[in-house]
Amino acid sequence: MRLPDSVTGSFLVVLGAAAAYGGYILPPVPGQPVGPNVFPLVIGTGLALCGLAIVFGIGHSFEEEEELVPFEDGQAAAPPPQGKLQGKLYGLRALLPPALLLFYVFAADRLGFIITAAIMVYVTSTALGAKWKLALPLAALSPFAIHLIFGKLLRVPLPAGLLPTPW
Amino acid sequence: MLKTLLDAFALISTWEVIIAMFAASVYGLVIGSLPGLSATMATALLVPVTFYLSPIAAIATIVAASSMAIFSGDIPGALLRIPGTPASAAYADEAYAMTRKGQAELALGAGVWFSAVGGIAGVLSLMILAPPLAEIALSFSTFEYFWLALLGLMCATLVARSSPVKAIAGMFIGLLVSCIGIENPGGIPRFTFGITDLFGGIEPIPALVGVFAVAQVMRAMLTPEPPPLPRRKFGSIMAGQWKLTKLYHWQMTRGNIVGIIIGVLPGAGADMAAWVSYAMSKRFSKEKEKFGTGHVEGLVEAGASNNASIASGWVPSLLFGIPGDTIAAIAIGVLYMKGLNPGPTLFTEKASSMYAIYLMFIIANILMIPLGIAMIRVAAYILLAPRSTVMPIIMLCCAVGSFAIGNNMFGVVTVAAFGVIGYVMEANGYPVAAMVLGIVMGTMVEQAFVTSLIKSDGSILPFFERPVAAILAAMAIGALLWPVMVWVWRKVKPAQTVAATTR
Repeated sequence: MRLPDSVTGSFLVVLGAAAAYGGYILPPVPGQPVGPNVFPLVIGTGLALCGLAIVFGIGHSFEEEEELVPFEDGQAAAPPPQGKLQGKLYGLRALLPPALLLFYVFAADRLGFIITAAIMVYVTSTALGAKWKLALPLAALSPFAIHLIFGKLLRVPLPAGLLPTPW
Repeated sequence: MLKTLLDAFALISTWEVIIAMFAASVYGLVIGSLPGLSATMATALLVPVTFYLSPIAAIATIVAASSMAIFSGDIPGALLRIPGTPASAAYADEAYAMTRKGQAELALGAGVWFSAVGGIAGVLSLMILAPPLAEIALSFSTFEYFWLALLGLMCATLVARSSPVKAIAGMFIGLLVSCIGIENPGGIPRFTFGITDLFGGIEPIPALVGVFAVAQVMRAMLTPEPPPLPRRKFGSIMAGQWKLTKLYHWQMTRGNIVGIIIGVLPGAGADMAAWVSYAMSKRFSKEKEKFGTGHVEGLVEAGASNNASIASGWVPSLLFGIPGDTIAAIAIGVLYMKGLNPGPTLFTEKASSMYAIYLMFIIANILMIPLGIAMIRVAAYILLAPRSTVMPIIMLCCAVGSFAIGNNMFGVVTVAAFGVIGYVMEANGYPVAAMVLGIVMGTMVEQAFVTSLIKSDGSILPFFERPVAAILAAMAIGALLWPVMVWVWRKVKPAQTVAATTR
């Protein structure tokens, strides 16, 4: 996900300009010179200026190159799981955790906590290279443990859904 | 004084506090020792649990978990050369070299012992520094608060190990996030886009959980699994530590002081303290050539430093609500929720609670020695847990924990969104700590800024008229201009050297 500075910088310019404009159009408080519009205006302008500076590479010399710690003999780094088979799609795996959280938001009320959580655990675990022999029992047990802690002890109202817990 | 102390003892000697502290210690030790799970993440995931505890027990869990996690990051650092937390990264190579020389006990023992000493030094600084500063802070008006907050934000961008421009951009992003909602001087919905859930603004805690926990799981998806820990039998862990203390007492003290100073600076935390102290130890050592080959001196100084910064990070947090590091940023959120709003009056009105915090820090650091030794002995078994079993549980805790904060699903959406934001920012060299500080301090900065502007009738002059405000202003502007000066100096210096060589 390493993007060129010109891309992130331009994005910040747009974001900053939008924030400044959004602040500018806010209605002022009658009889008061400074209202809720001042702060976003200042922040937005600052952000846009920073974005410009980043586009032009100002301050780049301060960035430290990431140090790769060389492994010593007998400690060779494990090759990335599944190699480069997926090619470009491999990078998209990083989006799995937020996607699963959104899945939780939409599914938890209908399916209930236990089922949704079990699916989340199974998918995350498999994505990190666990065999089904490990992932399946984990997915079956951990939702109950979490439910016990949060639902029972801390009284968080977790949705019951299709499969209510025995307690 | 004595009465407050007794009150404080009464506050912490309840079963709830004792159990909470013990459980949080074990939790902190385990999370800290697992590579990829940082102390900040351990603290962030604790927050939902603290809702259901009494104020003192809630703070006890944070104090215990954060102190333990910073030490426990040394364990995989020494045994695997993979730091458990970023705070141990500075000396993981050195500690691993000692393990290869067969001195694993000495390296880990130094980790435990000097962490505990550093932690206690940090508490002492908190006890000594905070009350007089509170006296001064009582006379602060909004002008001073504005400059102080700005200074805090600027410090955070200065110490980031990245481009200062990107750090400032990160800070602005955080401030922008804090603009969302109706909690602004006009009380009108701002940047809510008609979404009712955004009216209340973005809660800092789900944002922090997203940035520190979800982003970490995202990174784990793309990085290879760390190798398993070879099992080994340990000899006596504490043997020789007293000798080291006497031999390196000056290095230890210097580490403590550097750690305290870096802890007090907003935004700079334990990892920065360890890097600076390790570098300092090497620079001033009489045996420089031994560094990197398994020499304990740097470990002593850096270990004493990173734990000292944990406690001293609470100084600005308790006094001004300006977090000394990312862990303190989380702690501030908890303090607000528990009715212990940070501010100088905390030290007069809730003095017994303050003493209770001091005592808990001391107890946590003493407890660290036996628990730490036990942890070192069982570390091999805990580190056997593959990432594919730990990360799914972290995911579940993120989902349930963020839901629990407001009992609505919007918290989970926030966590997911900030996971992506944190991941993208980190990958592109934008320091997340600066953004976190912006989010936590945004409302305070805006309030101080707008109130000051209203008071001064739109004029800038009163911002510099009061003496303390003028000093703080000079420091904040200096901090802003510092990178520019460094940049100019770097430009001029090569030109001079080129000129000198061509002559």
